[in-house]
Amino acid sequence: MSDVAVQHGVAAAGVYEPSLFGTYSKKIGMWLFLLSDSLTFGALLFAYSYGRISTPNWPTPFHSESIRNATLMTAFLLTSSLTMVLAVRAAVFGNAKAQRWWLLATMACGTAFVILHGREWSKLIAEGLTLPMFPAVPGHEAAAEYKNVAETVPQFPATFFGLTGMHMLHVTLGVIYLGIIALRKKFIPVLLGLWLVAWLATPDYSPFHYGAHVLLISAVVAAIVLWLRPKVYDSADVEVAGLYWHFVDLVWMFIFPLVYLMSTRIIRS
Amino acid sequence: MATTASIHAHAAPQGFIRKYIFSLDHKVIGLQYYFLALTAVFVGMFLSLLMRIHLIWPQVSLPLVGEIKPETYLSLLTMHGTIMVFFVLTTAPQGGFGNYFLPIQVGAPDMAFPVLNMLSFWTTFIAFVTIIAAFFVTGGAPLHGWTGYAPLSALPNSGPGEQLGADLWVASIALFCIASLMGALNFITTTLDLRAKGMTLMRMPLTCWSWFITAILGLLAFGVLLSAGILLLLDRNLGTSFYVPLVVVNGQVMGHKGGSPLLWQHLFWFFGHPEVYIAILPGMGVTSQVISTFSRKPIFGYKAMAYALMAIGLLGFMVWGHHMFMSGMSPYSAFAFSIMTMAIGVPSAIKTFNWLGTLWGGRIRLQTPMLFAIGFVSLFVSGGLSGPFLAQPVLDIPLHDTYFVVGHFHLIMGVAAIFGIFAATYYWFPKMFGRMMNERLGQIHFFITLAGTYAIFMPMHYLGLAGQTRRYSQFTEVAYQTKLIPLQTFMTYAAFVTIGVQLVFLFNLFWSMFKGPKASDNPWEATTLEWTTATPPPHDNFGGRTPVVYHGPYEYGVPGAARDYIMQTDPATVPSH
Amino acid sequence: MNDATQLALEQGVAEQHRHHGKAQFFWVWGALLVMTGMEVYLGYQNMEPVRMLSMLMGLSLLKAGLIIAYFMHMKFEISRMKWLTMSSLLVCLSLMCIFFPDAFRILSLGAR
Repeated sequence: MSDVAVQHGVAAAGVYEPSLFGTYSKKIGMWLFLLSDSLTFGALLFAYSYGRISTPNWPTPFHSESIRNATLMTAFLLTSSLTMVLAVRAAVFGNAKAQRWWLLATMACGTAFVILHGREWSKLIAEGLTLPMFPAVPGHEAAAEYKNVAETVPQFPATFFGLTGMHMLHVTLGVIYLGIIALRKKFIPVLLGLWLVAWLATPDYSPFHYGAHVLLISAVVAAIVLWLRPKVYDSADVEVAGLYWHFVDLVWMFIFPLVYLMSTRIIRS
Repeated sequence: MATTASIHAHAAPQGFIRKYIFSLDHKVIGLQYYFLALTAVFVGMFLSLLMRIHLIWPQVSLPLVGEIKPETYLSLLTMHGTIMVFFVLTTAPQGGFGNYFLPIQVGAPDMAFPVLNMLSFWTTFIAFVTIIAAFFVTGGAPLHGWTGYAPLSALPNSGPGEQLGADLWVASIALFCIASLMGALNFITTTLDLRAKGMTLMRMPLTCWSWFITAILGLLAFGVLLSAGILLLLDRNLGTSFYVPLVVVNGQVMGHKGGSPLLWQHLFWFFGHPEVYIAILPGMGVTSQVISTFSRKPIFGYKAMAYALMAIGLLGFMVWGHHMFMSGMSPYSAFAFSIMTMAIGVPSAIKTFNWLGTLWGGRIRLQTPMLFAIGFVSLFVSGGLSGPFLAQPVLDIPLHDTYFVVGHFHLIMGVAAIFGIFAATYYWFPKMFGRMMNERLGQIHFFITLAGTYAIFMPMHYLGLAGQTRRYSQFTEVAYQTKLIPLQTFMTYAAFVTIGVQLVFLFNLFWSMFKGPKASDNPWEATTLEWTTATPPPHDNFGGRTPVVYHGPYEYGVPGAARDYIMQTDPATVPSH
Repeated sequence: MNDATQLALEQGVAEQHRHHGKAQFFWVWGALLVMTGMEVYLGYQNMEPVRMLSMLMGLSLLKAGLIIAYFMHMKFEISRMKWLTMSSLLVCLSLMCIFFPDAFRILSLGAR
């Protein structure tokens, strides 16, 4: 993602015209990617709103248990943003050790988010809030309530899994990105180990059984990039990775209220 | 923090693979894109030829495809559209020429992110392989048209080609989105950050402006298509119903409900209309460059041209609904879209009049690039004039499903953009390969192609007004359609000739590459930066130095100058415009 | 010492300067947590969906603004970058609101 041959800081002002955005190329490149990605998420959120508007009696089935879990996930993500910004700060001040530890803390929070979210998915699927093509969970009686939601308003599970799945993919890739920045090639065996655990520890009816291969593909791509361009990542790389991470956090700030809080189970008069 | 200006950190690569396959050099990547597009254009052209043959000889069994059934015809149509729009019109002018010449024209040693550039090409390549693979899977290629309208595209059992073939189609489009995104952010960053000293925005050649604006359009549009494609994949493979309402296929109720096909159309055209400008804007840039150079006059209204490009880019995002007048969209939105679409005629007209103003009183050199640039203007006007008809819902509704629309978009977006590519090829060939293309063959190519394209696409307008429907594989059943077959026959013969003469171009291209006369560094006496460097340019474009720019890009016929042109890097004291 | 090195040093100092206030990051983090809490509280209030939606989205935009300005350092970029990136994003997202009249129409057209 962030690989430059031609770096142009403000320092190169003698050779080039001053940058139109007053900063270095990598950061501009990441911002442009984020613009595009926010439109990708924006389109998904608009598709969700479109479905919700055009469906009378949109269900509001989330129990307080789900909301508590999602609030905890939000807290993890916000905290990871704080640790990320501290990692960038450590990088700018040249404190390599602090930078690495803050990055690892960020990754830990991100991983916690993914695990909590994955557990919630599995629970909802087992209880019947599922997509038509997801295999049935053996030995588990679907709760009539969720089953009913999935059958009467198929848009509900579709948008839920579509939006949060896309976001979960972004968080996962973000953790991998930070892992490469923090540990470079030492991270690849870790990633392969995580892939094996995620693949073998999940039953074959779970979507995560197949989703785990994202880790394998990322490991291969990361290995190729590190082979093509082995280098030490400087503070600019950390800052650019941070931009991506904060963006993932930002997107969740919209998904959480729209998907969860607007569908809480309360008695309405 | 990037404290040092490590300009040009990657050394000239050694070994075949690093030099020609996984090259990081924007020039090699540009050529890779160009030859990918060249392959794609011949595939697309072959498909169109099969369709034209089938339209007039429905009984004939054809090579490679055998007997053409109506659904085979739809597959041909889908693949022709997709390959042409994505892998030719988007790939060649932006990925090919943009990659090769944007960094040189702004005075940079390479793109801002060379690795990303390389990944972008190879992702495009994989996308191309994926879409070609759709021909060879069970059920064959998809039949939902290049627009992939749901619910046809969203249901795996809605037709023979809608099985694995359609999945490959969506996957290819999604990959292409990612590739274009990587390319676009590279182009924008290069333009923002790597302009040589003195190359202010208002001194950039109009080609750079057009690549820049095109990249912005691509950046903001392809992300939306990506999410549309992801939702389509979910509909097809996980049984969700984003785009599918309650439907009955062959008397069978599908397990979908609650979705809306309009959502797909909105998301698709939100990307799809900017895509039209992604295809045509680079052609406009090349035309401006070539017309100014070969008229030996400064471009008429440089700033107006740049602002018109921006206006077209901005308005291009606000008009997508004019593709959807037939869809049952809210009539109030249709009204708004109609007004905005009319408004886009203003910057387009500014550009046209400025091209004519540049030609007026110039000392015109009618060489092949110039011919194709003038051809571009001609096709742009002919195709553009039918635009205001289609911009109005009242007229669009009767015309939309007829050949009128086919003629309109082929002239303005298809052939005009192709003429832009031809102009660029003839114009920059000497710089890319160090040899000149054959002038006589070029002229033959131009005149027959121009006459041929008009002979193919002009009658389509009459067919449309007469009510001939598009996407039909045969017209033998209905009396009023049968009477129009002679015109179709004429168009097919014209297509034979036009496609035949493209082989002349192909021969000229490859023959000149090896046997053409050696080109000097500046054979057209042009002023922009690519003509100041060696032919072909060295690995870092300017041989270790970074040029300094003193002039605007089109200083031709300046009074008091020694020659009739002043290079952008010429420090002469003649007052700059 | 040449110009470039001098400039680089100055730039590095400026960079350190804008990361200096560690406390502000904690304040922003705290504000984000508090607003999340408010959102969850709002989610359990008994009110019209449209009213709840506008309040939730208002808070979310505020949170997004804080993240962009402080965590993503947009506050410290030059104004041209701020305006061009943010305005192009907002224009594109606002344009997508044109989808909604069609979503509302589905209800009245009777197509389910």
